[in-house]
Amino acid sequence: MSDSTHHSQFAENSQSCAPAVSVSNLHMSYGSFEVLKGIDAEAAEGSVTSIIGASGSGKSTFLRCMNLLEQPKEGRLEIAGETVEFAYSDKGRPVPVCKQVTRNLRTRVSMVFQQFNLWPHFTVLGNVTEVPIHIQGVSRKEAIERAEYYLEKVGMSDKRDQYPAYLSGGQQQRVAIARALATEPDVMLFDEPTSALDPELVGEVLNVIRSLAEDGRTMLLVTHEMRFAREVSNQILFLHQGQIEESGTPEDVFENPSSERCQQFLSSIIH
Amino acid sequence: MDFSWIHDPFYQSYFWQGFVNTLMLVAISGFFGFILAVLNALAQVKGPRPLAWLAKGYTTVIRGTPLLVQLFFFYDGIGRLLPMIDGIRQSIIWPLLTNAFFFGCLTFTVSVGAYAGEVIRGAMASVPKRELETAKAFGMSSWKILWRIWLPRAIQICLPTLTGEIILLLKSVPLVSTIAVVDLLRAANIVRSETFLVYEPLLLVAGIYVALTVVLTWVMHTIEKNFPGAKPQKSALFSRL
Repeated sequence: MSDSTHHSQFAENSQSCAPAVSVSNLHMSYGSFEVLKGIDAEAAEGSVTSIIGASGSGKSTFLRCMNLLEQPKEGRLEIAGETVEFAYSDKGRPVPVCKQVTRNLRTRVSMVFQQFNLWPHFTVLGNVTEVPIHIQGVSRKEAIERAEYYLEKVGMSDKRDQYPAYLSGGQQQRVAIARALATEPDVMLFDEPTSALDPELVGEVLNVIRSLAEDGRTMLLVTHEMRFAREVSNQILFLHQGQIEESGTPEDVFENPSSERCQQFLSSIIH
Repeated sequence: MDFSWIHDPFYQSYFWQGFVNTLMLVAISGFFGFILAVLNALAQVKGPRPLAWLAKGYTTVIRGTPLLVQLFFFYDGIGRLLPMIDGIRQSIIWPLLTNAFFFGCLTFTVSVGAYAGEVIRGAMASVPKRELETAKAFGMSSWKILWRIWLPRAIQICLPTLTGEIILLLKSVPLVSTIAVVDLLRAANIVRSETFLVYEPLLLVAGIYVALTVVLTWVMHTIEKNFPGAKPQKSALFSRL
């Protein structure tokens, strides 16, 4: 009884507040250096948001705030059903977010890293089943089924018993994507997923990400692949010096950028 | 060269006893020393400050004093002080406390705990931070990160160095001949004192040690090769003798 009530409430909620991610007035500093100076953004359920900008503009930091790898000192984050309000102490240090909230949030927001970061002492299958078995409490059998499903999806089934050291960068990144998928997250974060790859390996990873976009997964993507961002995204955020300088649909941002900095950035990258 | 004594069952039994004691000393103090080393490294890397200092101090003292001095300290020092405790002679552990072999194991365990502890601590520091951060990003608790990722990776990184440590341990064993444990050197000394042959029994001891080292190196190398996630490598069987 209570279960069904809860469920209907949840359904109502997800209809009334459509954004899967909502960020307001996010501030983040490294010591006295302010990296993010008040970010407001939203991402709808099932949408792809690409975050672009020059290096040092704060885009990776912004993404890392989404699963609290960096702790903002001010602002509000709503993601995967969790709401976190950030505050800072008298000494100017961020007040740590409650451990339970952090853990809940992190098990539902999964991340793909620039350097893949597979655990070298686990096989491909071990990497993909690690989080479901040891953090989410899924049975080994179900975790392996899940892993097989997602490894198939990224085209890495035949390497399930290999160790990461034996795989190419592109293959490692595809396994890392399967690992992120196997946690069945509400939101996926990609932190420059192709920047560490040799040019000929970029395509295979982008193809996998593209197929996820077509599946309607909520994704936030920091990338330098402008053509790809334009093609798969529903929304583009252009960051400059810790602020969102330009945002909108890919057409708006890439064809009619209103900000001068965004125009400069795009022309420097594309031409 | 006169090896005729080798056929004497009396000397054979001494050498056999010395051989068994040597293996037992290495196995026992290698095992418990490794556990102590892991605890030592954990205390230094993750422990509360007083515990970290204690572990650091222990490591510094043990690494800063000769093993032979430690052996005498435990056997002649502590071993002689203990009987002053009331009632200890009647306790169950008394036979252990009068046993030189026990003090040999104790000293070597403490020594391995310090040396290998420092090796493991260094290896923990060299595990790439991003592997641990990834575990954190997926919601792993810090203890789970330690047991599932950090420690296994550290052991993987320092296994070749630990091989060196265990071979050094093997070759420290003759020190116990000074505290009345029958090891291989002790057996050789008995032969020498009764037959006045100096080199022949020592040659046998040297031969046995070389053989043991080769075997131990091969065992450790096999473990290294089969450790989960080990990179393919060339044969290094004789590279660490």
